[in-house]
Amino acid sequence: MAGVSLEKIEAMAPDQSSLVAARKLVKPSSWSSLASDKAGLVWGECQGSGASPYRVIISELDGGYKCTCPSRKFPCKHSLALMWMRAEGKSSFQPAATPEWVKDWLRRRRTGSGAANSEKDETAQPKNLAQASLLQAEEVDPKAEARAAAARDRARREREDAIHAGLDDLDTWLIDQAEAGLAGFANHAGKSCRSIAQRLVDAKAPGLASRLDGLPNRIYSLPEPVRPIAAIEQLGQLHLIAEAYRRQESLSIEMRADVRREVGWTQSRESLLSEDGTLCVSASWRVVGTVSEVQPDKLRRLETWLWREEVAEGPRTALLLDFVPVASGQTKGAYRSGERITATLVFYPSPRPLRALVKEIIIPTQECSTDLPLPDDDPARAYACYEDAMATIPWISMWPLRFREARVRRNGEKLFLCSINNDAVALPVTANQTNAVAPLLAIEKFDGFGLWDGYTFRLCFAQTPLGRWVSE
Amino acid sequence: MNADELKSRILPVLLGGTRRDTGQNLAPGSDREHSVLNALSLAGQAMRFTRPSVPNEFAVEHWPHDERTILPDRFRPAILRLLDRSTDDTSRALAVALDNRKLRPHPFDLPRLDGFVRRYADRLGATAQYWVQRETPAQQARTYFEADELTTENWTESSLRSRVQFFKILRKRDPKAAQILLEKSWSGENPDSRVQLLSVLQFGLSPEDKPFLESIQKDRAPRVRTLVQRMLAVISGSPSENPALAACMERIQKSKAGLLKKRNALKLELPATVKEHEVNRWIQEQFADVTLDGLALACEMSERQLVEAAEKDNNLLFALALMASRENRFDLLDAVTDELPDAWGRMSELMSDDNLGKDAGQLSAWVSALVNPKRWLPEVPFPAWSWLHRQIEGMLPADIMRDVLASKTWKEQLDSDKKGGTEFVQVICALCPPELRGSIRSQIEPLEADRKDKGLMLLDILDELETLNEKPETAFAC
Repeated sequence: MAGVSLEKIEAMAPDQSSLVAARKLVKPSSWSSLASDKAGLVWGECQGSGASPYRVIISELDGGYKCTCPSRKFPCKHSLALMWMRAEGKSSFQPAATPEWVKDWLRRRRTGSGAANSEKDETAQPKNLAQASLLQAEEVDPKAEARAAAARDRARREREDAIHAGLDDLDTWLIDQAEAGLAGFANHAGKSCRSIAQRLVDAKAPGLASRLDGLPNRIYSLPEPVRPIAAIEQLGQLHLIAEAYRRQESLSIEMRADVRREVGWTQSRESLLSEDGTLCVSASWRVVGTVSEVQPDKLRRLETWLWREEVAEGPRTALLLDFVPVASGQTKGAYRSGERITATLVFYPSPRPLRALVKEIIIPTQECSTDLPLPDDDPARAYACYEDAMATIPWISMWPLRFREARVRRNGEKLFLCSINNDAVALPVTANQTNAVAPLLAIEKFDGFGLWDGYTFRLCFAQTPLGRWVSE
Repeated sequence: MNADELKSRILPVLLGGTRRDTGQNLAPGSDREHSVLNALSLAGQAMRFTRPSVPNEFAVEHWPHDERTILPDRFRPAILRLLDRSTDDTSRALAVALDNRKLRPHPFDLPRLDGFVRRYADRLGATAQYWVQRETPAQQARTYFEADELTTENWTESSLRSRVQFFKILRKRDPKAAQILLEKSWSGENPDSRVQLLSVLQFGLSPEDKPFLESIQKDRAPRVRTLVQRMLAVISGSPSENPALAACMERIQKSKAGLLKKRNALKLELPATVKEHEVNRWIQEQFADVTLDGLALACEMSERQLVEAAEKDNNLLFALALMASRENRFDLLDAVTDELPDAWGRMSELMSDDNLGKDAGQLSAWVSALVNPKRWLPEVPFPAWSWLHRQIEGMLPADIMRDVLASKTWKEQLDSDKKGGTEFVQVICALCPPELRGSIRSQIEPLEADRKDKGLMLLDILDELETLNEKPETAFAC
């Protein structure tokens, strides 16, 4: 069965005890129904300790899953057991029409179930009762439709006004910090940033607020002597975003879209798919990195970095982004490094398109052991690509670097990613990877993929003579 | 203003505070506020385009050449899962299996297997040992290589475990040469290696060793001093010269027993101050410096007669079991365990590692003499099994394992009403020789998944490792 293999199930399991618990359920007698739509969707009902059975759905196309049990583990034992039965192929899954509860899950997924929690549709329908009643009538009443459009337009203008007021507040705050001197900014960054971030949330600029909320952590993660300079860099970027937003009419469409996203405007899946001229790329993609990080807003950010295998026009790197509440307990996304997926991706507009959505899966995820076709850039050349991107979008924070002929070297306790032939760049490896990357010190030459945040390098994937190294 | 000017003029102003600047050093702007903001963003961008500094020098890496084969990829995830919260017995069994087949963990797994690698580095090859030592200051780190063949020239540079093995063989072949070799390297050894290497000299101890032992009587390590005193006492032989033997003889009562045929009977009198839970420890300490032949001589009977005379006294039998075990007198140990079936359980409570010097053949004979599943009373607790596995670092002989699998102790563990832990299953799986893995699999199959899981995983991995090559089990002959 394509999509879900036993190896993948093992990798997805949050811990060994979940696998052990799931194994007990890998028998048809534990399930009151098992069915499939023969198009990658499998569902079943498993009797648990509650009165009604738990409803479990898995999508073989992209490894998605959902279970109605109250477990705080993701995937839960029911989801794992269903995948397991499917992977083993011993149990029979009756072909059936998709039931309503499965359709409901699919609908919510398609509206970005994970990401939607943190993203509000720029063009979303109003949700209060009065506006809802307007919506109901819109099909039959052109006047009501006009009123609703006017209301949306008004809400949008009000938000624009609020954001501009928020940007003015931000400028004032930035001036205050600069006037006081940034040498000591790190000492009071937490409190100071929190206060302006709250004001920006009120001003409906959550993107900027989030940047400010994460700024203290970012600064504190750096060595003390570097912190004042990092503060200047980070605060300078905030002003650049604010200034670009004010002048967005003079920017290109892609740049305008990028800066609006930085400020906090979001675009729904439907809106992105329906937009004219959206960049769509159908290709075979390899998962080259997965990152799972908790944000200050208590959301877990799940990043999946993809690398396009074919050499052709258009972006070769794509970022799939999901957000889940930390309280949900989910720590991993659906993809694993090294997997291959053939899919059509839709890119969010940007002068350097990176973030994307999966529009259509052509061939579901598969294990892939072949080497990744990387360009002939050594780390110095890869870094030059980052500089090039920064010249186009001055506020980029994380940028993918793919490289060949690199090695890891050590200075004191720090590790650096270097070219094998020159000392043009030495990118400090992030401190929390020191131990994991240490075995690469013994490798004289490797190719790979990683993420550069302007200060530290996070290695995601490496092809070495000893096989594949993958960041966990 | 170019980037360098931005850095030299504006950066200091921003760091110190623009309040103190008149404005002449700030970036152009429509007013002062804009100048400050422009200065901030321009300086920030200029700094972002500054490449990270390249260190003046990098450390030269000295990863060792490792001749072992890297574990094939298909084992890697299984081993990571197996070692996640497994018992020491499981990880020990795996380490021994890897060692026997000259395999090593994949270097990329070393960070995730750090605890396992630290514990069993000397069984996992040169790279693993380098990994464990990589944070050790250069002056304390041992230069390490793993040669197929150790010689008197290179033996000091290998792992302690290999050195002890090498030294044991040398001692067996040429006791004098072994003593001279140790004497030469003595000053460079750390306390741990001094104790372990000196322990090897206990085998084939002779008066020829006396000058060397006397020269190290004042060693800095108390453990070494105690060992030296014990060995000197053994060399001297008589109770008058061995205070430990004299002290034991004061506690042993000789009498005659039997109605028709009088026979010798020995009884060990324990001091009144020794509490019940301290008995085993007291006996171990009391008889640590006493040899079987010394005791037999002092009691004026043969060693075999010692066992017969002590048959009614479990404490003295236990003392004899300890001595027989230490001196590799497995015939006597067998005789003792006929009378004292739980000698093994009592030994395990001491948690001592007296079997360090035994080779595979000796361990096989030792375990055959000691472990007698048919006579266990009433059951052997898990720590005793774990101790046994630590002692033999391998598998039980098949005939003993067969008895174990049929024993009441094991059957009770398989009882579905008894909610035992997974530890017992793991240690029995670790002790199980290949030919009985099928039996143990079918026995544990009905258990709950969380009890049998690790055991089955271990059996699967060991089975598959054995298919990698035809090299037989060498650590312990089954």
